[in-house]
Amino acid sequence: MISIHSLEFHYRYGEFRLSVPEFRVTQCEKVAVIGPSGSGKTTLLNLIAGIFTPVSGTVSVDNTEVSALNDARRRDFRITNIGFVFQDFELLDYLNVLDNVVHPYRITRALTLDRSARERAVSLAERMDIGDKLTRFADDLSQGEKQRAAICRALLPHPKLILADEATGNLDPENKTVILDLLFQTVEEHDATLLAVTHDQELLKRFDRVIDFQDFRHRDAA
Amino acid sequence: MSPDFQNLNSRLKTKDYRLFLAVLCLILAVTNAPSTAEGAQHEKPTVAVANYPLKYFAERIGGDRIKVVFPIPLDVDPAFWVPEPEGVLTFQAADLILLNGATYSKWLNKVSLPRRKLVNTSQSFKDQYIEIKGSATHTHGPEGAHAHAGLAFTTWIDFQQAIQQAEAIRDVLARLIPEQKNDFEANFSALKDDLLTLDRRAKEIVTNERAQPLITSHPVYDYFARRYGLNIKTVLWEPDEMPSNEQWVELISILRNHPARWMIWEGEPSPDSVDKLKSMEVESLVFDPCVNVPDQGDFLTVMKQNVKNLRSAFR
Amino acid sequence: MIDSLYIAWRYVRFNKIKTATLIACITLIAFLPLALQLLLDESERQLMSRAVSTPLLVGAKGSALDLVMNTLYFDDEVPESIAMMDADRVEESGLAFPIPVYARFRARDYRIVGTTLDYFDFRGLEIAAGRPLAIVGDAVLGAAVADRLGLKPGDALISSPENLFDLAGVYPLKMNVVGVLKKSHTSDDLAVFVDIKTAWIIEGLGHGHQDLIKSQDASVILKRTEKNVTANAKLRIYTEISKLNLDSFHFHGDDSKYRVTAVIALPNDTKSGTILRGRYISDGATNQILKPADVIDGLLQNIFRIKNVIDGVIFLVGIATVLAIVLVFALSLRLRQREIQTIFKLGCSRMTIAKLMGAEIFIIIVSSVVLCALMIAVVNHFSNDLVRMAFIR
Repeated sequence: MISIHSLEFHYRYGEFRLSVPEFRVTQCEKVAVIGPSGSGKTTLLNLIAGIFTPVSGTVSVDNTEVSALNDARRRDFRITNIGFVFQDFELLDYLNVLDNVVHPYRITRALTLDRSARERAVSLAERMDIGDKLTRFADDLSQGEKQRAAICRALLPHPKLILADEATGNLDPENKTVILDLLFQTVEEHDATLLAVTHDQELLKRFDRVIDFQDFRHRDAA
Repeated sequence: MSPDFQNLNSRLKTKDYRLFLAVLCLILAVTNAPSTAEGAQHEKPTVAVANYPLKYFAERIGGDRIKVVFPIPLDVDPAFWVPEPEGVLTFQAADLILLNGATYSKWLNKVSLPRRKLVNTSQSFKDQYIEIKGSATHTHGPEGAHAHAGLAFTTWIDFQQAIQQAEAIRDVLARLIPEQKNDFEANFSALKDDLLTLDRRAKEIVTNERAQPLITSHPVYDYFARRYGLNIKTVLWEPDEMPSNEQWVELISILRNHPARWMIWEGEPSPDSVDKLKSMEVESLVFDPCVNVPDQGDFLTVMKQNVKNLRSAFR
Repeated sequence: MIDSLYIAWRYVRFNKIKTATLIACITLIAFLPLALQLLLDESERQLMSRAVSTPLLVGAKGSALDLVMNTLYFDDEVPESIAMMDADRVEESGLAFPIPVYARFRARDYRIVGTTLDYFDFRGLEIAAGRPLAIVGDAVLGAAVADRLGLKPGDALISSPENLFDLAGVYPLKMNVVGVLKKSHTSDDLAVFVDIKTAWIIEGLGHGHQDLIKSQDASVILKRTEKNVTANAKLRIYTEISKLNLDSFHFHGDDSKYRVTAVIALPNDTKSGTILRGRYISDGATNQILKPADVIDGLLQNIFRIKNVIDGVIFLVGIATVLAIVLVFALSLRLRQREIQTIFKLGCSRMTIAKLMGAEIFIIIVSSVVLCALMIAVVNHFSNDLVRMAFIR
């Protein structure tokens, strides 16, 4: 599903450098990425999503070489193939839950918001146990409910790959497990691949594979 | 008739064409009819008048070119009419309003009339109006008290003045309907001749005995007296009322210095008054100013009779 | 685009206060100059159309503006009067036709305009109900007067005393309302028309001999005044012209010396007008003749000069407002930076983000425009009356 080869990346300014000689994730695999802060975990997710482009090397997702696409194609590829789950949920406060879930459909032409998409959004929300809160505004939800809504949003376009950036980082222990269970369940139901950045050691055992990011990162002093 | 166009077309080409033309002419005639009728019905200009002499003059000069209206009731002295709205509205609706001038229509300052339509027929001799000294208020008829103060206003029994008033009417009518100017001029000439005849006769009668003292029963003969040189003194008597004792006393005191042998009345006096006057060796004669429509005849016949009546005093 | 509008709509709805403030700012800054312009145009139209249709005005020397405003718009400033013979003189000149106007007295809040019937023809005023003036004491009401006072033909209207303490002689006149005029959308709607002779009766120049209502002794009224019921006592006494006393009604003195506030002179042609004007210039007398259009033109010049200043101020305030609005949007963009980043990560293009912002501005501006248009429509609908309230009376 994900295949990275000889990747080199650095920001235009600053000393941060990332080098990934080889990185692979197979279909339906659930992989956790760990590593200390600033080690480039989030940068890796952004590279895979095509938000950043590597200085050299290739990033392929689902046999598409993301790093070779132009900007517009990368965005369309991202919105149709990749679901993002963020640490701070990033729901829009001025939209109700349903509008938040279908939001990706409204901001791109790559997706069409039709009746079936809406019905799926409702059933997904019901699946995530927030079916009765569709008309609530994001601010009126608990942290757990917010993340459920965010997961709904990520899953609605049927992405092949879910990128979760500290998805459970802001949840209490009880919610952590529940949300992760839900995430795993729905990912499995959708035959999706999950790449999750996490700090949470307790949860690691539930992933198929854990990659320590320390190995990829270079602080090039030389 | 067949709806088939070709058929219709061929019909039109043949003898029915004449029928078609006839129908067309009929249609044209019908559609034209209202406009011609309108032209015929076109309202004659209306001229409202403030007394009978003006009505007579306007009718003589205007003939059938104008419609003369006289909104004041026949049993009222037009000078002392108590105006009511309907009559005033009739005046307003006219195209011209002929006034006598010399403050004749006492009601004029109680009504609203459009200034633009007002015509003072005596304007041309307004500097010759006679002012009456002293105020004399009296009561007669249904109109209540009225005063003969200010200007004398019975202008038309001076026939020269009457001609001037008629002239004024001729002029405004000619301005109102310029295309009838010649008609009006001709009609006026005829009227003028009639008035001149009256004038000549009145002069002839009086020149014989200018200084002969006369009594008039009502102060309406000032212009007449001035024109024809009558020596008059006036009382305030009504023809149909027996004068009071005071009035007789007043007459006797006047006669002392003004030995008149004739009294001139506005209308037919009561026999009692006539008899009593006779006993004082004063004869009665009638000179009707003809302010309202006469029972018999018209302005001219009444004036002719007046002049005839007057002749008896100068025999 | 619909999606963008929907999202923007949700956003502006969520941020109600901010949106309302922005809309209010934009609406006001657009409305003020437009409304001002509208009212000025309407006042110009009203002032000018009437001024232009009134060729010449003869009045006492003094404020030309007072004379025009009083005669044409029945304004409160009553100019010095001239004599009725000044009207006759205009007619005798053979150059123009005079319409005397005596706009001095009031009935309630409305000007009593004494004139001749020719005025109605001249202004093209038509009777909507009742009949025209016929007998002294008759009054014909402007449409608005009849409407506001709830009067119809057959009712009565009492003239207001000029001065509450004018106990010496003149009593208010109970006028008979005989007609109501059609609405003319001019100052004539707000006038009580009487014959000029009726105005003179109100002035106390004419009276009858058996005024039944006036029979109370003046001393009685004075006593009442001392018992502090001046106004009531005063108002209860009035003159009335009825069938009973009409015959005895008469005027005192020489009516050619009676007063009028102005004479509208309708010249036969332009040349006659010029000659007539020349006579008053060479006269050196107490009267002036003027062209109302010139006077109103001067007035409008002044109004427009003031308007230019106001326009300048509004322009500056407008710039400040626009800057403030730009600032608000910039700040709002910064506040939404995170949202923008999120949707960017989700796969939204910068163009879409611009569209979202554009939709939001669009909604706010369209709302402002609609609101402004509504307000302008309201002002426009009432501009006729507004102008007369604000500028003319």
